[in-house]
Amino acid sequence: MEEDEFFGEETFQHYCAEFIKHSQKIGDGWEWRTSKEALEPPLDDFEVTEPTTATEVIKYEYHVLYSCSYQVPVLYFRASFLDGSPLALKDIWEGVHECYKTRLLHRPWDTITQQEHPILGQPFFVLHPCKTNEFMTPVLKNSQKINRNVNYITSWLSMVGPAVGLNLPLSYARAAFQDEGNVNRQDSSIEPKSLEEP
Amino acid sequence: MAEEPESSLQLPPSIAAEGEGPTEVSPETATPEPPSSAAVSPGTEEPAGDTKKKIDILLKAVGDTPIMKTKKWAVERTRTIQGLIDFIKKFLKLVASEQLFIYVNQSFAPSPDQEVGTLYECFGSDGKLVLHYCKSQAWG
Repeated sequence: MEEDEFFGEETFQHYCAEFIKHSQKIGDGWEWRTSKEALEPPLDDFEVTEPTTATEVIKYEYHVLYSCSYQVPVLYFRASFLDGSPLALKDIWEGVHECYKTRLLHRPWDTITQQEHPILGQPFFVLHPCKTNEFMTPVLKNSQKINRNVNYITSWLSMVGPAVGLNLPLSYARAAFQDEGNVNRQDSSIEPKSLEEP
Repeated sequence: MAEEPESSLQLPPSIAAEGEGPTEVSPETATPEPPSSAAVSPGTEEPAGDTKKKIDILLKAVGDTPIMKTKKWAVERTRTIQGLIDFIKKFLKLVASEQLFIYVNQSFAPSPDQEVGTLYECFGSDGKLVLHYCKSQAWG
């Protein structure tokens, strides 16, 4: 296993596929979508429509995309009221969980920004991916030490999601290891060339 | 069996309310067994009754994160992950720009409102819940 985790696009797809498998089992609504008419770099996204919450009728929509430049997944999201009017960045910040607020408000400009969705062309909020490697690496390294196959997407989403209202059900934590028997890094059922070779 | 001192994690409500109160929690001073020390005893049977309220948590550091002197804690089941994060951050004296993550199964971060009792039911083994924690400057 290499020191630096090369998180290529196909690795991204693989982990997304595993993630989706579990999502389908528990019915929490994630989908994998491929943009067929993309003229641009092959970004894939999947989209979910969260059911509106009971307390505040705000609809959140989350997309996980792959960033070719940072070689990490990126979380795009938007929120709107039932009448379709979008939430502003300050509303989003108000919704950020307490335990993240301090950190976020410390340096807001390199965390949540507003950008155009590369495929849909509509404004979304984005969790800036530039530091993703930094906080993912210790976790991945730690798991590698004990030969544990971690689903990068599951792990990453569990860490960044809650800050913006996305909480993964606990069953994902167990599902991340259920595929240990099926997919081994050295012996993959998907294109072996695309995975890290020792 | 346990090499390290074990303490009851007594979190006064003010910690959750981010107050800068006096440091109520100090494992070193709390170690002299509080009256209701029934929750944790090294290697012995836990009395019935109190065991229902608290679970054993073993904290393990990941990466460059400082290791806590006291790793084993008895925590009330209803304590949330956020409460635990706040506690560890204070304990390790992290600054505002530092984020702390807590993991089950070494890789999955439960949401902050998750209660440790639930996590114990799902991921506990050998009578304890192992949680890994990792500090990070980075976020996002």
